[in-house]
Amino acid sequence: MKMTKIVRTTADLFFPFCLVFGLYVVVHGHLTPGGGFQGGAVMATGTALLLVARAYDDVTGRIRKGAMKACEAAGLLIFLCAGFSGLFAGRPFMANWLAPAGQWFRTFVAHGPNPGDLNTAGLLPLLNFGVGIEVLGGLTVILLYMLSGIKEEKK
Amino acid sequence: MTLFLLVQALVLLGLIVTAVLIISFKDLLAAAIAFAAFSLLLSLEFYLLQAPDVAIAEAGIGAGLTTAIFIIAIRGTQRHEEKT
Amino acid sequence: MRNVLFSAILLLFFGGLLYLAADLPFGHPPRTDMDDYYIRHAQEQTGANNVVTSIVFDFRGFDTLGEATVLFTAVLGVGMMFRKLKEGEEYEND
Repeated sequence: MKMTKIVRTTADLFFPFCLVFGLYVVVHGHLTPGGGFQGGAVMATGTALLLVARAYDDVTGRIRKGAMKACEAAGLLIFLCAGFSGLFAGRPFMANWLAPAGQWFRTFVAHGPNPGDLNTAGLLPLLNFGVGIEVLGGLTVILLYMLSGIKEEKK
Repeated sequence: MTLFLLVQALVLLGLIVTAVLIISFKDLLAAAIAFAAFSLLLSLEFYLLQAPDVAIAEAGIGAGLTTAIFIIAIRGTQRHEEKT
Repeated sequence: MRNVLFSAILLLFFGGLLYLAADLPFGHPPRTDMDDYYIRHAQEQTGANNVVTSIVFDFRGFDTLGEATVLFTAVLGVGMMFRKLKEGEEYEND
């Protein structure tokens, strides 16, 4: 089953916007609804759009399986390292030791509704980013494996 | 309040209609698209019930990825259900 | 005949469930001590405006670690299932 030109062009057009929106959801995870998992799923939806519209040989130039595997492993590693970094700061595992004071991600947050600031929340943006790229890599690798398993008839 | 209930009733009715469509379609691609519509309506319902996190996850996973996986599987096999 | 009986039993079952569920109070109790604690202290303790994220990644960070590990293991399983076979190797259940 070969997709029509309309589907392919639309997928090409939507792909970067999906990635940017997913990245927005990931980066603003500690301010707006959403977070690592949701943002990663949105980004993976963008890649899935491209994978559905095109054959396997067409996409491997833009979405590389090795890079996606690296993304996945790096995401879990970032999560684990951020968790263990609490031990070096003299706090328990997974403690948010960056939150109270300092330079990075440490602006004080008032209680109650406020406009929000990206430079807050201590370790949370790092954990969000790790989970985000892990979900992106993992789901894309699953789709790539499935797509490489089927035999397309020649056009 | 009445408008809220009306919109919610419409969304729930659409959920039931799309769910029936999913199992009644013999064309599997159409069933996959109906499943995407079902997930989209479900995420709208989650949003109406003030759970935006779950709504984003449902829209991304249910309407996007699951449909993509189904379409890839249909590409690998055949489009129409076999008559038994 | 069997279909009618099956449908009747199914309808009775779901009707009973709906009847029981109609009595359940929705959103009761309105909030417990734990909710109160999170809503009051999440912003000052974690610095995140989004209380849901502060719970998922900070107060319940260990659960999220488990979830990430589950996803990683699932991808590993899919990779093992779809791997390329070596020369002369066959699937076990072929």
